[in-house]
Amino acid sequence: MTAAELDRSDALRWTLPSGRSYEAVNRLVSAPLIERAAWSWRAWWIAFAVSLTFTVIFLIAVAWLFVSGIGIWGVDSTIVWGYAIANYVWWIGIGNAGTLISAMLLLMRQHWRASINRFAEAMTIFAASIAGLFPIMHLGRPLYFYWLTPYPNTMTAWPQWRSALIWDFWAILSYLLFSIIFWYVGLIPDLATLRDRARSRGGQRFYGALALGWRGSARDWHVYHVYQLTMASLAVPLVVSLHSVVGLDFAASLMPGWQETIFPPYFVVGAMYSGFALVVVLAALVRGGFGLQALITPAHFDVMAKILLAASIIMGLSYATEWFSAWYGGGRVDRDLVAYLFTGAYAPLYYAQLFCNVVLPQTFWFPIVRRSIPAVFLIAIAINIGMWLERILIIWMTLSHGFLPSMWRLFQSTIWDWLTMFGSLGLFATMYLIFVRLVPAVSMHEVKKDVIDQEVSA
Amino acid sequence: MPQIFGPAANSVARVVLLSILITPFLAIALGYALMRSQYVTGASITRDQPVPFSHEHHVTGLGLDCRYCHSSVERSAVAGVPPTETCMTCHSQLYTQAEMLEPVRTSLAENRPIHWQRVNVLPNYVYFDHSIHIAKGVGCTTCHGPVGSMPLMRQAQSLTMGWCLNCHRDPVPYLRERSAVFDPEWKPPAQQEEDGKKRLIAYLIDNKHLTDCSTCHR
Amino acid sequence: MTENLARPAGLAATHAGLDRRAALKLFAGGAALALASCSRPPEEIVPYVEIPEGLTPGIPLKFATALPLAGYARGVLVKSVEGRPTKIEGNPRHPASLGSTDVFAEASVLSLYDPDRSQAVRNRAQPVAWETFAGVLRTQMEQESARHGSGLRLLTGRITSPTLRRQLDDLLRAFPEARWHRYEPVNDDAAFGGALQAFGRPVVVLPRLSDTKVMLALDADPLGPGPQQIRMGRDFVGARRAQASPQDFLRFYVAEPAWTLTGANADQRLALPPQLIRNLALAVAKELGANVEAGNLPAEAQRFAELAVGDLKSRPGRAAVMAGRAQPAEVHALCHWINAQLKAPVDLIDPVDVAEPGHADSLRTLNEDVVAKRVQTLIILDANPVYDAPGDLDVRGALRSVPFSVHFGHYNNETAAMCAWHLPLAHPLESWSDLRSLDGTASIVQPLIRPLYDTRTLHQLLAYMGGAASASSYDLVRETWKARVPGGDFETWWRGVLTDGVIPNTAQQPAQVPAPKLPTLAPAQPPTGFTLTLAPDASMFDGTFSNNAWLQECPRPVTRQVWGNAAHLSANDARRLGLVDGDVVRLGRGDVQIDAPVMIRPGQADGIIRTTLGYGRWQTGAIGNQVGFDAHRLQSIGSPWVLEGVSMAATGRREEILTTQHQYQLEGEAHELFPILSIAKLESEVPRRHESVGGPATLYPAYPYNTYAWSMVIDTGACIGCNACVVACQAENNVPVVGPQEIGMGRDMHWLRIDTYFTSESSPPGFQPVPCMHCEQAPCEPVCPVMASIHDAEGLNLQVYNRCVGTRFCESNCPYKVRRFNFFGYASGQEFANLGADVVKLQFNPDVTVRARGVMEKCTYCVQRISGARRTAERENRKIHNGEVTTACQDACPTRAISFGDRNDPASGVNTLRQERRHYELLGELGTRPRTTYLARLRNLNPALTEEKA
Repeated sequence: MTAAELDRSDALRWTLPSGRSYEAVNRLVSAPLIERAAWSWRAWWIAFAVSLTFTVIFLIAVAWLFVSGIGIWGVDSTIVWGYAIANYVWWIGIGNAGTLISAMLLLMRQHWRASINRFAEAMTIFAASIAGLFPIMHLGRPLYFYWLTPYPNTMTAWPQWRSALIWDFWAILSYLLFSIIFWYVGLIPDLATLRDRARSRGGQRFYGALALGWRGSARDWHVYHVYQLTMASLAVPLVVSLHSVVGLDFAASLMPGWQETIFPPYFVVGAMYSGFALVVVLAALVRGGFGLQALITPAHFDVMAKILLAASIIMGLSYATEWFSAWYGGGRVDRDLVAYLFTGAYAPLYYAQLFCNVVLPQTFWFPIVRRSIPAVFLIAIAINIGMWLERILIIWMTLSHGFLPSMWRLFQSTIWDWLTMFGSLGLFATMYLIFVRLVPAVSMHEVKKDVIDQEVSA
Repeated sequence: MPQIFGPAANSVARVVLLSILITPFLAIALGYALMRSQYVTGASITRDQPVPFSHEHHVTGLGLDCRYCHSSVERSAVAGVPPTETCMTCHSQLYTQAEMLEPVRTSLAENRPIHWQRVNVLPNYVYFDHSIHIAKGVGCTTCHGPVGSMPLMRQAQSLTMGWCLNCHRDPVPYLRERSAVFDPEWKPPAQQEEDGKKRLIAYLIDNKHLTDCSTCHR
Repeated sequence: MTENLARPAGLAATHAGLDRRAALKLFAGGAALALASCSRPPEEIVPYVEIPEGLTPGIPLKFATALPLAGYARGVLVKSVEGRPTKIEGNPRHPASLGSTDVFAEASVLSLYDPDRSQAVRNRAQPVAWETFAGVLRTQMEQESARHGSGLRLLTGRITSPTLRRQLDDLLRAFPEARWHRYEPVNDDAAFGGALQAFGRPVVVLPRLSDTKVMLALDADPLGPGPQQIRMGRDFVGARRAQASPQDFLRFYVAEPAWTLTGANADQRLALPPQLIRNLALAVAKELGANVEAGNLPAEAQRFAELAVGDLKSRPGRAAVMAGRAQPAEVHALCHWINAQLKAPVDLIDPVDVAEPGHADSLRTLNEDVVAKRVQTLIILDANPVYDAPGDLDVRGALRSVPFSVHFGHYNNETAAMCAWHLPLAHPLESWSDLRSLDGTASIVQPLIRPLYDTRTLHQLLAYMGGAASASSYDLVRETWKARVPGGDFETWWRGVLTDGVIPNTAQQPAQVPAPKLPTLAPAQPPTGFTLTLAPDASMFDGTFSNNAWLQECPRPVTRQVWGNAAHLSANDARRLGLVDGDVVRLGRGDVQIDAPVMIRPGQADGIIRTTLGYGRWQTGAIGNQVGFDAHRLQSIGSPWVLEGVSMAATGRREEILTTQHQYQLEGEAHELFPILSIAKLESEVPRRHESVGGPATLYPAYPYNTYAWSMVIDTGACIGCNACVVACQAENNVPVVGPQEIGMGRDMHWLRIDTYFTSESSPPGFQPVPCMHCEQAPCEPVCPVMASIHDAEGLNLQVYNRCVGTRFCESNCPYKVRRFNFFGYASGQEFANLGADVVKLQFNPDVTVRARGVMEKCTYCVQRISGARRTAERENRKIHNGEVTTACQDACPTRAISFGDRNDPASGVNTLRQERRHYELLGELGTRPRTTYLARLRNLNPALTEEKA
């Protein structure tokens, strides 16, 4: 699709003519799942093979970790936290976006969400589950992770409720359960559609069971909509609380660069930022991979780019606030730290972070960039790298350059740090590929609803 | 188009959904029960010993004082399992040919220690001190059970941390007058509550510190 | 913890053995202390067959004995648990210990359990039985006696043991033409030479620092490693009490080429090449009226000399100078003359060590004899010349040519490899002997444990050589003293000296010497090219301790380097040659070439290369082999400590220098972390602090501490940075060694570290020992999700290992970064090198959990000692007495810089210290309310100089 086509009168509508009917939508979306013969899965298999390799690497890395101990990572006496925590914060940030997008946009009656909320929510679940793994892997004695739960035990010992890690534990758990339910229920009507369209008996039974006897009756729909709105309005505060709590993991300390009241909101925005960026990436892939050009249009990328732009500005503001408050607060250590950000050993990484998160997205001021899917795609990837850098630097900078100069150290990454990180990406990709293989990547029933609305409004 | 599911499907679905809710709680309940079972705590388990030593016979039967064999119980962290020579003080005269005492005689003859099986096992990171419990009026049988009626030694209590804390949080019901500490038949008298409270003060028991982790873990 | 000093001595050897067997069984039986999961393997109880007299299971005993360093004794008390020596402590009755220890004494208990110790007699590396050797020896000695021992040579280190001296004398009487040679790598040849020149006889100089108000040290390192370190440190600090008026406060001038502990603790320090230090001495003498020609000095040095002389003159009878072993005999003689002019407070005593000829000459003559094939039988007793003899003496080649050579030592080492026979020597903690300290005080060395391996003592071997079929060191030692005890009941006397650890009236009397002669000494020309100056290492000493992992990983004073040595260069030289830390240079002298990594030391004299001995061992054991480079090879028998015209060339290679501190310089506001006050201005300018501690207000309720409130005050003014506390902590608390790779990863396990800060380029650094602060508002506590980091009723900040899951949030939130994490099972299955061997585990302190992999640990204020004292007190229905609880670091500290006590006890010393003007909290502004607080360092600058600065 070219810019020329975009300028057509209906260009900015959320579906193209080719996809503007019930049948069209059903066909477009369910074809890959139902019409196996007509559909080629070669690209999928290649992608699956690659991501599976990385998953295996991940499993090996984790196994070796459990066999020989945290020492295989780069953490040291001073910088006791490293990649695991950074990856955790990064993944949970991504995990935030799906539900946030889907819920917030729903409440705001943003119709275009219909095309993206399904795989955005899926992304949430997989990202959040992976994020949940890292804090456990990061433990010195992972087999005792359950001591963080308040279960009745013979030691009559309980968790420390004042610890941000406990808040974290509950935040992740509740968020994960919530997201799964929200996503699954949203899936039911489409599962029913698949059940009805399925050719094979097996397919019918499989989707039938999952559809939990959905009939599409008026009552079904009524219950469904009430439920969906309620959940959505619950989702927003939950999402905000989740990443605020993650922010508190750092803010509820007294280390310079961590002990900042801005952290919770700034983490929430950061999360949404990285999450949205990944949604853009996935959108581009799903669109190309399943020929859904008709349902995911440049208009979607255009509007998502705008959101990224807004987020990037807020991020820039947050960084500036950190520098200001350090200077204004006037503490020796805080000032030293800010100086260290710009002049210390990690400075190049810090500049890269600022470039990816703040400078680069400013190009979204230009419509031409926003509507060029490759451009948005690449910038989104840059943003995700930048956000990862932000996570790791929050840890490295503060711990490397603490209160006592005698304990200043530099982090030395090991091969296992990297393998674990890229392995987790592979795991994510694998789960995601399985997801698109089994359930419709785009919410048929919501797009269809969208289609009617557009017909009406037109 | 034919039905995909039979009439049972609905009920099955409901059961599945329900069990998804219930299973976690069942699991916790099971674990709860298991961790308190004798299988895990080892309570009331009797271990095979090289010599079938009967506390019932020596304590109740002969009326030996605990300290005759466990000589360091008042001074040291460990009560002290008696050296072979202690056994032989009597058994060089009594039952000198008894089959069951063969290991004891060989031990002394060949200067090889007897390998007893530990009955009351505490984890290695728990630092239990007999002497201080004795000094503060906690009797042997409070933890070791009715030793006087045990033909073979067994672990009397669960020895879980919860069990320890039970007394460390409120020692009053267990504090004896010092003379009764080694009394194998001691039962808390009716006015134990008052007596205990008095002793808490008399023995200068700092029960605020009793629940500090450093009291047992170092 | 009862302290049972008296015991039936005769039983010692036998019952220690029984103990040990039981201990081993107990250990095997699962008394291992590692954290176990809740599943319980069946455990055994293995009681004694006969309980050893005086022993109660579970109650450790303490015995007095003595340990050698360079041959001189330091008295110690050894804690023994069921017959396993586990901890060395100082013996208050002993003049060279004064109740404190040094790193070597603390670490020697690990050497006892070193798996690499030699365990069998070897003939050309093949294990054989003692009997076999005894037979061979007999025939050999018969041949020797035939020729009156003309072919017999003995080589020993410094021998102070009266029994050994008696045996040697007997032997030499039996073999009149035999010769006894001594070579101690760290010797006092120069000092003795100087004494010969000044007085015509060798004497040992014992400065009375406590009576000294002005001291000028010329390249001397009294506070550095050595048999006198503890005593000197104690006196040094004793003469510098803050309560004293500035006039009574010792002012210490030091001129030295490179940083030593003495220089680091000086008030006025001058970096000067050794040759010019000679000129400095001359300048001082000239000022005092000597008719000598003072050589030229740099302006800075001139000024330094004037100030020093001014001060020295102004305090007659209270001022002294001292010269170091690196200075030539003439300078020592000159110092004698100067001291005489100053009526200096120094004692001169006859040396305990036979002085003539010097060690160097002794070794040289032996070498000549060997080369001249005059030696048929060479017996090397606990010496290692192949490694530690100066490089220009080809001992290795010489040894090969000796027909019958025997090496008797603790390790199957470099020398053993060159000898026909090697015999395993018993560790001092395993053997009966006696030793004398530098001031002559004698002690009995008694065994704490039956020999772990089939080893013998020096006494036994000498007895064999004398023809005895069998010998017991115990009898030999008693014989010696039976002869010397003036009547009375010997057994009572014997028991007494065993209990006390010192033998009364054995200290040398002051020597009667004539007025010192003024030596003829020409001033030196400023050196051209590089001068290499060597010194014994603060951890390896002369290499004796190379295989001791605690010492290898003990951060060296000032540099904080571990697991290796380096060639120290001044900042200027490094800049000139474009070298940075870690660049490998090739040092050359004659045909000897050695590659060494460079370490840049601000405040070192230009043109100086400084390094330490004791590294580059190639045959000692799994710990010490191939660590660092061997500087002995650069030494010259003529001048072992200062080597001129050493070439240095960059190799282009790099080698990581392992240190536990990377930033030494305090900049800008960071100075507040380590305040340094001037004694002169202390009263006038520093406000008295009333318990202003506590930092900002807090919302948390304050804990009520109504029983005890443990607290520690560390006097950075008294800390000389000797590291004794660090190793003591390691020994007491089962702190594991992590090894060089882990150090390289930025990991270490020390619970107590000695932060070293330079406040300016040139002025001496300061030492700040940092244990856990035991904050009352501890940042680590609220962040731990499982309450493994938790407060107790007495204000201790506890770490519950068995509860810890290893989130490491506590350490990341600790502003002092005093917590240490077991990234691997450093003590539980993933030990470094051979430290996992069962025999090493015998050293573990049974009162302290051995931490598993994945748990956090930290300083506990020695909670096991507090608990022990509490239980003792409560058994007796009383409170813990003031001073009843001492921490391991406190006990070890030679200068008593660490005080510990109960703040709720008005009598306790910590309360008075907390009222001092110098008192401060580290990072107190954070509101952590640390229980560990500090006293600021004091400097006593010459007022004239401070004015110039101003």
